[in-house]
This record gives sequence, structure tokens and C-alpha cells, in this order.
Amino acid sequence: MTRLRSAKIDRSVAVVCWVSAAAVCATFGCLLIEIIRAGYAEVSWEYLTSRPLDAGRAGGIGTVLVSTVLVLLVCLAVSIPVGVGAATWLSEFTTPGSRRARFVTGCVNLLASVPSIIFGLFGMVFFSQMLNLGISILSGGLTLACMVLPIVIQTTYSGLRSAAVELRLGAAALGLSRTSTLWYLLFPAATNGVVAGLLLSLGRAMAETAALLFTSGYATRMPESLLDSGRTLSVHIYDLAINVSGAESRAYASAFVLLILLLLVNLSTSMLAERWLRTRQTA
Amino acid sequence: MSPLSKHLRRISTLAVVAFCGLLAGCEGLPAIGVTSSEGRDSSSDLMPGTSNAPKPLSPLSGKLTITGSSTVAPLAAEMATRFEQRHRDVRIDVQTGGSSRGIIDVQSGLAGIGMASRQLSPFEAGLTAHRIAVDGVCLIVHKTNPVMTLTDEQVVAIYRGQVSNWSELGGADLPVVVVNKAAGRATLEVFLNHFGLDNAEIKADIIVGENQQGIKTVAGNPSAIAYVSIGTVSAEVERGTAIRSVPAGNVAPTSENVASGLYPITRPLLFVTNGELNDLQTAFIEFAQSPDVTDLIEAQYFVPPNR
Repeated sequence: MTRLRSAKIDRSVAVVCWVSAAAVCATFGCLLIEIIRAGYAEVSWEYLTSRPLDAGRAGGIGTVLVSTVLVLLVCLAVSIPVGVGAATWLSEFTTPGSRRARFVTGCVNLLASVPSIIFGLFGMVFFSQMLNLGISILSGGLTLACMVLPIVIQTTYSGLRSAAVELRLGAAALGLSRTSTLWYLLFPAATNGVVAGLLLSLGRAMAETAALLFTSGYATRMPESLLDSGRTLSVHIYDLAINVSGAESRAYASAFVLLILLLLVNLSTSMLAERWLRTRQTA
Repeated sequence: MSPLSKHLRRISTLAVVAFCGLLAGCEGLPAIGVTSSEGRDSSSDLMPGTSNAPKPLSPLSGKLTITGSSTVAPLAAEMATRFEQRHRDVRIDVQTGGSSRGIIDVQSGLAGIGMASRQLSPFEAGLTAHRIAVDGVCLIVHKTNPVMTLTDEQVVAIYRGQVSNWSELGGADLPVVVVNKAAGRATLEVFLNHFGLDNAEIKADIIVGENQQGIKTVAGNPSAIAYVSIGTVSAEVERGTAIRSVPAGNVAPTSENVASGLYPITRPLLFVTNGELNDLQTAFIEFAQSPDVTDLIEAQYFVPPNR
């Protein structure tokens, strides 16, 4: 009797899990099909390389893509070193659970729960006005870096912590310096964490609109330096969808490009990480 | 050399290169801080009062920041692009954030020109408003609908769901299909504002996003009523689409009536400035109010004001 019941429970749990998995796939599938259906026809080489005309109803997204890449580069160039450094400090240079560690972890968690529009307003006041960077790609990238910092820290930290205790003990027994231990043992072990952090932050940064509207801005001109304003892809999509009548198909086309970019980033980052891991292990 | 120090050296080289890159990017730093005031220092041979004569390529230069209304921004950005093509040394950055932000930024000097899609309030006295275009909204019904006019009260009753059949308004025995705009649309704001309605009290049967969607819905449904941007209607009527515009307060929603201010359901699209204008501000505002940009205004479905 009890065995029969537990078999029943087993089966229903399995069904629920299968249905949940299918629902996830279906959601993604619907989204993908809708965006491809509505946007595919507008995308061409011409579209990818020319600048927006007629408020985005004509022309392309070439300059927008350049601005997007620049903002992301600034964001990663700042957030990855700082994030990995902070995670390393938390994991290796302080006792987990100590007051200092708890304080820093608390700050990271708080930062992670701040809505992006707050980062946008902060970035506008701090980077654009106080540091006098203006509405620029640099301000936008730095604001995004603040926003994705907790992601980088959390994933790197869990990557470092997942390295076996034996690794550390062995390194200590061999008399390896702290830096060597980090470089040869712990960082390779944490690679997956860093890559996951990189991916998540790239994804979040690429999709961000609210934090960038007031910091990197709205200009569609080809940026000449990091201090020029530049419109990113998601800001462009937002503007086309809300402010420009007659540009709905163009908004979909831009969304399609954004989706492809995200997929490309995903693939190439995991490939790079694999190669990096392999060369490191043979070094 | 041990492999470790090789790695460290590589990293430090990378760091130095990255830092130099950042520095190089920052070279333009001082130029940013003076955004709107830069044009003031630049020499210019642009004489006041010569605006009717075809201007030679003047050595107008500097950077002008324009912020504000997201409704005006696409139009201002198009004007800026055309202006930059004529004056190679000029950079005009258009940023959005809403009418109030435009006004605040122009008061604080962050922006040289603010954009607003509403009249200035009495608290904003001291600023100068320059009208560059008019945004108008008109009600449309199907071509075959016999109801020719609607009073403001009737429109309010229709949108509140108090009138549900066209026969109550002198039309055929058909249920009224109310088409409303999605939240966030500029036309929705103008409509609600004029009729003193709150979006929550509107009983809509269909909600559309774009003007074209509203027009298609009405053209395909003899009992529908919708409101759209005036600029889109006349072109569609000329094209033979099965819609008809409804006059407001006995004034036909023509571009002339909008431009002259007779037609009531409108709002102005403004450039707002604070105090004395520099050469660049003056030149750009003159340009934005000249016939040179009429096609740009019409392309955004707005109406050029009477000049």
C-alpha cells in the first residue's frame, strides 16, 4: 500500500518536473519564434552597418552596435578585475564568517538587489555630473560595471570556494606562495564561476535600458571617443517601441540582432574558457 | 625566467596598455564640462537678421546638448542630424528623459536647449519657449458611419462605456467598439488631458499601440471609434482608407486648423531656453523653426506651426 502510494508520488513529481522543463522550453521557443517572425525580414548587411535614419524607421543600427560594444567593453574592463579581486579577498584573504567578511558580503548582496533605474540615477549624478564625464559611453559603462559587480563577485566567489580543501592543503604542503596557489590552482578551479559571471553580466548589461538612458544616452552618431554619447541596442529598441510610431518592425529587427548577439557571446565565451582551461592545465 | 613571473609580466603589460587606452579616451575630458557654453566662445559670422538669405557654410562650431521630452526627441534628433550636415564643426547631442527633465536641465545649465511636449507651467516662468511643431489628436470612425459630429460630452460617455450603441448618438443600431491606446503613448496623454479622463475609467474593447494599428482597426470595423495622431489621418484618407475624422467642437482636424490653433485637441512641442542665447543655440532654433525642416516634422506625424 505505502509502496504503491510512493510510486504514485514519484510519478507525479516526475510529471511536474517534465512539465516545468517543457514550459521553460516553450516560453523560450515562443519568444524566439515571435521575434524571428517579426524581425527577420528587416535584417540585412545594410541594416547592420548603416546608421539610423528618420528616427530609426529607416537606415540601420551600425552606430548603435558600435556604442553597445564600447559600453560593454568599459563595463567588463572595470567589473571583471574589481569583481574577481573582491571575490578573491573574500575567499582567500579573510576568514569566512568574520565581521569584515560579513560586512563586505552584506554590501554585495545589497548592491545586487538595487533596481537598475537607481544605478541609472546614481550614474547620472556621480559619473556624469560629479566626475564631469557627461552623458557618455564611459559614464554608461561605469554605471553598468557597478550594476554587474555583485554578479561577478558572487559567481567568482562560489567558484573559488568550490575548489577542494585538499588543493589548498597540498599547495601549502609544497610551500607554494599564495599568488602561485591562486594562479595555478584556485583560479583555474574558479574559471567556470568567472565565465558564468562574465556571461551573466554581459547578458544583463546588454539588456539594460534604465541604467543607460541617463548615462550613455540617446545619440545615434558614430562615437569618436569614450566621452561621446552613444545609444545602445536595448535603448534603441525601447525608443523605437515607445516613441517612434511606424517603427514596430524595426524594433523587432533590433531585438532579433540583440538575441543573436547574446547567443554568440554565450557560445564564444564558453569556447574560450574551455581553451584557456586546457592550456593552463598543460602549462 | 619562471613561468609565473612571465605571466605576471604579461598581466602588468596588459594593465598598462588598458590604462593608456582609458587615458586616450579621456583626452576630450575638458570639452565635456562646458557642453552648452562652448558655442559662446566660438567666433561666428552669423549675423542676426540675415536668416532669410541663404546662409553660407558658417564657421559655427561647438557642442550643444538638448534634453527632455521623449516625444520631441526623435524629431529633434533628425533636425540635429541635418543641422550637423550643414555645419561640420557642430555637435548636437539629443537626450531624452521627459519634459520635466528638459526644463530642469535647461534651468541648471546642463542642457543648452530643453524639449517639452506641454505648455510651460507658471512655476517655470523666466524660461523662453520656442514652438517647433504641434501634436494633434483626432477621433476617427468608419467611413460608412452616419454620425458626423460628436460633442466632448458624447466622447467622454463613449469612452466611459455609458453609451454602448451608435443608435443613441443618431447612428445605426450597432454596438460601439471603443479603441484605446496602450499606456505610455503620447496620443493617449493628449486625449486624456483634453477630455479630462482617467485611463482607469476607460472601458476599451480593443487596445492598440501604433496609430497605424488604430487606423486599420477602424477601417476594418464599421462600428469602431478610435483616436490617432492627426498627421497620420490625412494621408490615409487621401489613400482611400475607409475612415473619416470627426471634428472637435465643430473644427475640422486639418493641418491648417491645427497650425492656426483653432483645433482644440493639441499640445505644443517646444524648445525651451534660459536667458541669453549663444550663436549656436540661436542658429539651431532658427533652423528648427524654418521651412527647411517641414518634411522632418511631417515625417514624425506632427504639424508644422504657422510661421
